[in-house]
Amino acid sequence: MRVAGPLVAELRKTLTLPAAWAGIAVVVLGSIAITVLNAVTTRSAIDAGTPERVANTSAFEAAFAAMPLGTVGAVVLGVVMISSEYAANSTDAGGGRQITATLTAMPRRVSLLAAKATVLVVLVIAVAAITLPITAGIATAVIGGAGTETVTPAQALMRGLGGALYWTLTGLIATAVTLLTRSGLIAPIVLIANSSVVSVSLLLTNLTPLAHWLPDLAGRRLFTGVDTVDGGLAAGPGALVMAGWTVLLLAVAAVVFRRRDA
Amino acid sequence: MPAGRARDRMVGMLLIDQLVKRHGTRTVLDHVGFEARPGRVTAFLGANGAGKSSTLRILLGLDRPDGGTALVGGRPYRTLRDPLRTVGSMLDGSGAHRARTARDHLAWLARSNGIARSRVGEALDQVGLASSAGVRVGRFSLGMGQRLGLAAALLGEPQALVLDEPVNGLDPEGIRWMRGLLRDQAAAGGTVLLSSHLMAEVADVADDLVVIAGGRIVATGTLAELTTGYDRLEDAFFALTGGDAGAHR
Repeated sequence: MRVAGPLVAELRKTLTLPAAWAGIAVVVLGSIAITVLNAVTTRSAIDAGTPERVANTSAFEAAFAAMPLGTVGAVVLGVVMISSEYAANSTDAGGGRQITATLTAMPRRVSLLAAKATVLVVLVIAVAAITLPITAGIATAVIGGAGTETVTPAQALMRGLGGALYWTLTGLIATAVTLLTRSGLIAPIVLIANSSVVSVSLLLTNLTPLAHWLPDLAGRRLFTGVDTVDGGLAAGPGALVMAGWTVLLLAVAAVVFRRRDA
Repeated sequence: MPAGRARDRMVGMLLIDQLVKRHGTRTVLDHVGFEARPGRVTAFLGANGAGKSSTLRILLGLDRPDGGTALVGGRPYRTLRDPLRTVGSMLDGSGAHRARTARDHLAWLARSNGIARSRVGEALDQVGLASSAGVRVGRFSLGMGQRLGLAAALLGEPQALVLDEPVNGLDPEGIRWMRGLLRDQAAAGGTVLLSSHLMAEVADVADDLVVIAGGRIVATGTLAELTTGYDRLEDAFFALTGGDAGAHR
């Protein structure tokens, strides 16, 4: 009861936040759009008798290519769950912040952070569990028997789980960084730009191989099949390193959160 | 003294003792101490920046003191189980996110403290916001935000109310209504601690006064005790806080 209360409260809080739904919509709708685009391209290449125009004709690959988009949604969720606490109301409305209400209702701060992290994990996994079957279904419906499926169901499951784990860990890192900085800007700039625009981490690998141990690069092989640079850690050790970063950042955030003034 | 200690543990008794708070080298609270008792309305008076909010934030477990203690019924706020059922509080407006509706805001608060869902509608009704339950908080006026903050404070039917400048932004009718509500709470045996920077604002409602100036408590006592010898309430206030030497007769 004392665990369930904060947990359900935080879940309800997140689901009544429009920005959280925007993050979820980006993943679900964006992935569907990318999948449709990929699948139609593949199908028309097959129908035109030129399947060599596309890398492969697997329906799963057409859907899985949208997987990195989920990282963006997980970061948005991880950030807004925290940044909404620190966003000030207009001075016309008293200028207060929600963190005051949150901490007077749930003053045990480490438990509060645990409840928030749990809600994030549940939501990200739920989004993955909805998005992956839908996009795989769409790609299969469009490409159908015309293509050659190169991915076995077991491989598809493992890659889906790997991708969902990467989303989850990135979302948790976003939560920790946002809590530490109390700003909704830093985590998305670093985590989204780094994964989609210019990968600073990747550039760093040219300077030192240690950059392969940064959380995003360590975990990148969780997306098996998505083109990436050579070198660095294999999927298993990489996942452990990324999880280690996540736990470390959450622990630092918890200690700071517990000690500092609201 | 055993009798005193038993009294300190009374549910709803607010006890602040020797609080010290520093921001860098600046001392914001300098050994602040007072109590707010059940069945009484205690007004915490001081100019803006005197240390009222800092004291209340420490009492509510939001900020950490550099010394001293603040206890609710003998316990630090952070150790209370389902604190909203013991202390209802309001600081800087509603504390609701602007994108959320009033009803959704109270609903998650209720869930976090095991408060019956039916209390959400009742509390909105009680503060006169029933018709705005589905409106996003970003569209609220200052007065509506204050009412929502008060609804949140009343949600858990707490023994004690801690309110920072509660009549800010309320119209005269709202102020009258707020006074009635605070008197009713005290008459029912509850503890009410409210801060204000205007003595006239609390004169009709307060039983006890605590005056703070420059981070120090400069006077405590009943309204009658502190205002004896002054023509006007504001004269007493300025004399006590040293805010305006000319006001002292």
